[in-house]
Amino acid sequence: MTRLKFLLAGVALAMLTLAPGQGNAQKVTLNVITAGDQNMVDYVKDVLAPIFEKDHPNVTVKSVGTGPGDAGSQKIAEKLQAQKATSAWDVDVAVIHQKMAGDLVKEGMLAAYTKDVNTGKLSTSQTAKNALGQNVEGYVIPMFQSQTAIAYNPAMVQTPPKTFQDLEAWAKANPKKFGHNGIKGGMSGVAFVVGWIYANTPNADKLISGPYDQAIETAWAPAFASLKEFNKNVIITPGNAGTLDMLNRGEIAMGPVWVDMFYTWMGEGKLPPTMKLALIGPGMPGQPMYYVVPAKAANLDLAKKFIELATSPKMQAEGIVKRFNWYPGIDAQHVKSQLDEKTWNKLFVDVTPQDLATKGKPFPIKPYFDDIQQGYEKNVMN
Amino acid sequence: MVLALFVYPLCYSLVTAFTDKAGAWTLGNFSRAFEFYGKDIGFTVVIILLSTALIGTAAIAIGGYLTLGESPLAVGVLRWIYRWPLFIPFVVAAQCMRTFLAKNGIMNNSLVTLGILTPEQTVGFLDWRGIVITFVWKQLPFVALLVAGAMAALDRTTIEAARNLGAGRLRILIEIVVPQVMPTLMVGLILSFVTMMSVLSVPIMVSGESPTMITVDMAFRINNYGDYGTANALGFISYALTGVAAWIYLKRGIAEGGRP
Repeated sequence: MTRLKFLLAGVALAMLTLAPGQGNAQKVTLNVITAGDQNMVDYVKDVLAPIFEKDHPNVTVKSVGTGPGDAGSQKIAEKLQAQKATSAWDVDVAVIHQKMAGDLVKEGMLAAYTKDVNTGKLSTSQTAKNALGQNVEGYVIPMFQSQTAIAYNPAMVQTPPKTFQDLEAWAKANPKKFGHNGIKGGMSGVAFVVGWIYANTPNADKLISGPYDQAIETAWAPAFASLKEFNKNVIITPGNAGTLDMLNRGEIAMGPVWVDMFYTWMGEGKLPPTMKLALIGPGMPGQPMYYVVPAKAANLDLAKKFIELATSPKMQAEGIVKRFNWYPGIDAQHVKSQLDEKTWNKLFVDVTPQDLATKGKPFPIKPYFDDIQQGYEKNVMN
Repeated sequence: MVLALFVYPLCYSLVTAFTDKAGAWTLGNFSRAFEFYGKDIGFTVVIILLSTALIGTAAIAIGGYLTLGESPLAVGVLRWIYRWPLFIPFVVAAQCMRTFLAKNGIMNNSLVTLGILTPEQTVGFLDWRGIVITFVWKQLPFVALLVAGAMAALDRTTIEAARNLGAGRLRILIEIVVPQVMPTLMVGLILSFVTMMSVLSVPIMVSGESPTMITVDMAFRINNYGDYGTANALGFISYALTGVAAWIYLKRGIAEGGRP
């Protein structure tokens, strides 16, 4: 019992010390919450925080992660909604996915901060204005843009396809040389299927911008039928990593991959440096994550300054591009001067900034997205 | 403890399997499960029965050789080596098999280097065959350990008597030894069956082909659609399948006078 009491006393003491406003009034804690993998949390903690704390000696940056995927964003949203009635929320900066950003803007939970941030005008991409159908202009700056593309082995593919139509013909002529991971083994396969639907349905834009209307899904039938036919000539790989593995071993010549994963594997020597990428038309999906500021963030001004640092061309170049092989959240031309030629060439030679602007598509809005996957299960896999 | 950690989640998942998102009773989850994953359910049963049969055969072969083998060196080596995979988790086994069984993987490359195959003849096993190979490789030592133990504990006089009457080793194994260790063999196989039903890592990592196993579908339903109803319906189907295995096991026990 004594031990338990000691423990409780310790916890109480710790809470007192951590409570805001206690002790040194100058000290401020800036809470940065990230939905994403641990490496993103570490990036805030190990790279951004030390620089920011150096410029602002009275500030401590606290980096917290809520886990990957939409579930991570969901937790952040729930945290904000729980303290809606209070006057100062304990989240200053959040990094969230598209779907949740749209919802939070709609609910009025976010601050329109980008006009007050110098780097706000550096990001002009479609995804900086629209998140899966919801207008988010002024509320978000992308932290990065991740993108899927077709990776190919130039030794086995002389003229890479430029469109899904080319790819269909190529796979027919070269059976079992294209591989994708379907929809149950990871997002690169899901992105491929979504790209296929975009390419083979009349009103693809509607899937991205909404509103949801189930009636238009009847137009998907021929797309699924042709995909089923296409799948007979390809290999279904075991997962995102499975596609890269098979490319590495020369078992397949082409397959859809996440661009950042592709370059990371190449950097680690798990893929030959001769491999190349093609972003084929009309487009393949990718997704950004956004820096946002909650409407009643306790440290609004510091939060803006923090994002200004994080989205500065220098940090975007060194952190996002060099460290993670992601495309920058702000427009690429602003980042170019900060990068050595080798890094720039690596990221933008196969997939040019124009490609990215015209063929980098968002994922569909949620109800269409679910229906595409269910449609694939029902019509292509069975 | 059992109530909180097993019975409560079990009941909860059963109830969820029969309710829709609004909370009303429905069989919709099951019709969806069969409509989308009927093929996968059949495939799961076939794969696991095949694996179980192979495990049984190989376990008898290993146990039999350990009991009846005449070369002390070969018996010693086999005894030493056959248990190794027992200590390797499924996920590690699956990761190893991914690089071992691929078309240009370690196995085929070795065969090509040895001149047994040409690169054109190689075939990748990263499909249902890979799942079966991984399951057998992983579960065989467990069953073989039980069976070999039971065989070693047999009264050797029956074996010697058969041998004196001129029976070959294979005949002794099939007609004398196996019937006597049958209860142990069945226990091992049923436990393996149940274990394999629950493995997610192997099918998801080794095989990308459709059809796939129920566990992959359950994970997919939850991760991509947040649909616990259908996932639980699939879970219910997999309880039912293991339930059949358990029923066969218990029935055998009763037929033998209540001795499980």
